Amino acid sequence: MVMKSAVEDDDAGWGLGIPEKMKNNANWVNITHEFKGACKELNLGELLHDKLFGLFEAMSAIEMMDPKMDAGMIGNQVNRKVLNFEQAIKEGAIKVKDLSLPELIGIIDTCFCCLITWLEGHSLAQTVFTCLYVHNPDLIEEPALKAFALGILKVCDIAREKVNKAAVFEEEDFQAMTYGFKMANNVTDLRVTGMLKDVEDELQRKVKSTRIRQGEQRDPEVELEHQQFLALFNRIKFTRLLLTALITFTKKETSSVGEAQKLVAQAADLLSAIHSSIQHGIQSQNDTTKGDHPIMMGFEPLVNQRLLPPTFPRYAKIIKREDMVAYFSKLIERIKTVCDVINTTNLHGILDFFCEFSEQSPCVLSRSLLQTTFLIDNKKVFGTHLMQDMIKDALRCFVSPPVLSYKCCLFNNHQAKDYIDSFVTHCSRPFCSLIQIHGHNRARQRDKLGHILEEFATLQDEAEKVDAALHSLLMKLEPQRQHLACLGTWILYHNLRIMIQYLLSGFELELYSMHEYYYIYWYLSEFLYAWLMSTLSRADSSQMAEERIMEEQVKGRSSKKTKKKKKVRPLTKEITMSQAYQNMCAGMYKTMVALDMDGKVRKPQFELDSEQVRYEHRFAPFNSVVTPPPVHYIQFKEMSDLKKYNPPPGSADLYMAASKHFQQAKLILENVPSPDPEVNRILKVAKPNIVVMKLLAGGHKKETKVLPEFDFSAHKYFPVVKII
Amino acid sequence: MEAMIEENGPSTHEQCEVSSASQARQKLEGLLNKNMRIRMTDGRTLVGLFLCTDRDCNVILGSAHEFLKSTDMFSQGEPRVLGLAMIPGHHVVSIEVEEDSLEDTQGFGANH
Repeated sequence: MVMKSAVEDDDAGWGLGIPEKMKNNANWVNITHEFKGACKELNLGELLHDKLFGLFEAMSAIEMMDPKMDAGMIGNQVNRKVLNFEQAIKEGAIKVKDLSLPELIGIIDTCFCCLITWLEGHSLAQTVFTCLYVHNPDLIEEPALKAFALGILKVCDIAREKVNKAAVFEEEDFQAMTYGFKMANNVTDLRVTGMLKDVEDELQRKVKSTRIRQGEQRDPEVELEHQQFLALFNRIKFTRLLLTALITFTKKETSSVGEAQKLVAQAADLLSAIHSSIQHGIQSQNDTTKGDHPIMMGFEPLVNQRLLPPTFPRYAKIIKREDMVAYFSKLIERIKTVCDVINTTNLHGILDFFCEFSEQSPCVLSRSLLQTTFLIDNKKVFGTHLMQDMIKDALRCFVSPPVLSYKCCLFNNHQAKDYIDSFVTHCSRPFCSLIQIHGHNRARQRDKLGHILEEFATLQDEAEKVDAALHSLLMKLEPQRQHLACLGTWILYHNLRIMIQYLLSGFELELYSMHEYYYIYWYLSEFLYAWLMSTLSRADSSQMAEERIMEEQVKGRSSKKTKKKKKVRPLTKEITMSQAYQNMCAGMYKTMVALDMDGKVRKPQFELDSEQVRYEHRFAPFNSVVTPPPVHYIQFKEMSDLKKYNPPPGSADLYMAASKHFQQAKLILENVPSPDPEVNRILKVAKPNIVVMKLLAGGHKKETKVLPEFDFSAHKYFPVVKII
Repeated sequence: MEAMIEENGPSTHEQCEVSSASQARQKLEGLLNKNMRIRMTDGRTLVGLFLCTDRDCNVILGSAHEFLKSTDMFSQGEPRVLGLAMIPGHHVVSIEVEEDSLEDTQGFGANH
């Protein structure tokens, strides 16, 4: 329905504005006066409405003329004419040919800034498509600009496709809407890169022809031109490399990832030259340092105002040109990191890779690229390995279950094969989801981790059943071997990891208040880490049992004495780290209890809730897990009751105990061979806390009523306690 | 109509006021779910179904479309879909109702 309305100042003007297309040529009757009069007769606060329409519905109406809700206001309050691309060309407000070099450089840089702003979660309509040139590159006669416009459209299109496919974004991360704009779909990727390359070659010739020759008296004008040609050349080349890298990612072969890595590295090399030539471009006429939208030739921030959805207006602050290069170089660093994932072949290693990558809070594009690199369209890991095989390998590495051992009679047993294959098949979806969860932004991950526990609880149940079935099979065939809790141990390990991560991420997201710390740290140290360590040692002994059997078989065959060499156990590092974490949590728990005894923890006035309500809310997702069973509030209170000690410890005793825990963590960590950054981060918290706890144990500032501060800057999960 | 009311009850001054209020209410109720066109102080026009109003003449329109002032020759005349929109009474410049939808109602616009 296309309607036009003419509004003139006098009400009589209504009739004139009614267009032919107006549906059934309705006549509008002016009732302003009567309506307003009738309204006055209503009582104060009375709503006149249809039976089906109530106050509740009324609440969801957007309020017109309220700048926070009415997106249409902005466009209406600007005095300039808002022109679209065709109109701007007709009016001569925009050049499509013979653009000067500074104009081209300025337009390209602003486009880059728009692209980045879009990648940071704003809508295309308010960012890239504020550039009129990309609305219809066919109308551009200037070859460099045309190639660039097509290039940027392709970059957007491929990035959008990648992000959509990976599906690890929420509305706060990314706006996938294209508002019906053509994303250069009528031109092939190859054609666009070809056009960019042609422009690039042409520019390179110009750069060469303006280059300084030996013994030549340098004309400053030629020098400037040379600089500008070079600046444009670098920008076009950067666009081409970025686009080619993204295209390479869409290819299915694993080798293409390495190629993409090379391409982005080449693009990164151009960045410093781009940064130093920003001043060559024309600047916008308004002050953009406060994040205002740049207004300059080729850009109209309001051109798409009418396309925006009827929600509250969002303002897209276009990033500054000065920050553009820094963003690109970080983006390229992230993409390079993503490419490294293909060097990890073990499922646990990949999971750790995803966790680590996510810890830097990467952008949605790099997160999506990581997802699509991991699981290619054919549902194979890196396009080559079956997820089921990955899971079997992971199981073999972790617990060496007899059923997966080549030396075990179960390996070729049909029934056993069926059991394990169906179990592994059932595992593959939850594990893919787990990896996908780590692609989401940090805040969303927590919620999703809570939900996936339900799926893992089902797996746990199945694992235990399969273990039992395999064990009874094995007892018949090889009575000297056991198949107890192998698969179960492996699933339990993942369960615990998820639970621990769920609790810890609450610190990172600043969800807990100070008076909640003690039960969170208690749950972690006394319960989850304790379970994790026993699970890890069970896996370790399972591995050893398998190795012994292998050794015996080798010995039996060859009479040669195999020298028993001390091998580093594969799970040692993880067990050590868990011990350190457990001590850190225990230290924090005791610190919090002691601080509470000294009246140094502010507690809320529980009126409508109680500590129990909060406790149960914090651990609610654990209720779906069977092993480990959830610890209910009453149990927690009983288990953590200090009165069971004789004599019950005072705050000084607890500070001392906390100090010992931190000391213990420090000792464990200092003995870690080749410490990684995480080890150093924990040490940065443990060391000062040892000292602070000793001071507190000695009665330092016991009387002060000032609350202690918890500084999470050194580590996301463990604070340095500061007494002021 | 007034005669009718007088017949139905004693016509004290107070009751007269009450009846004029109920009459107004009736008039407004007759307009519910009619297509309405409202011009706002900033020149924009909203077209949508009349759903709700109150004493301050705040109006809620359902499935509202927003039109820009057509004096601006560059606006494409394409409406923007707004959905449920509330126009504060003090921003209402004029109110019009579609004539066809008035046929079955009385009171408003009949003498226009």
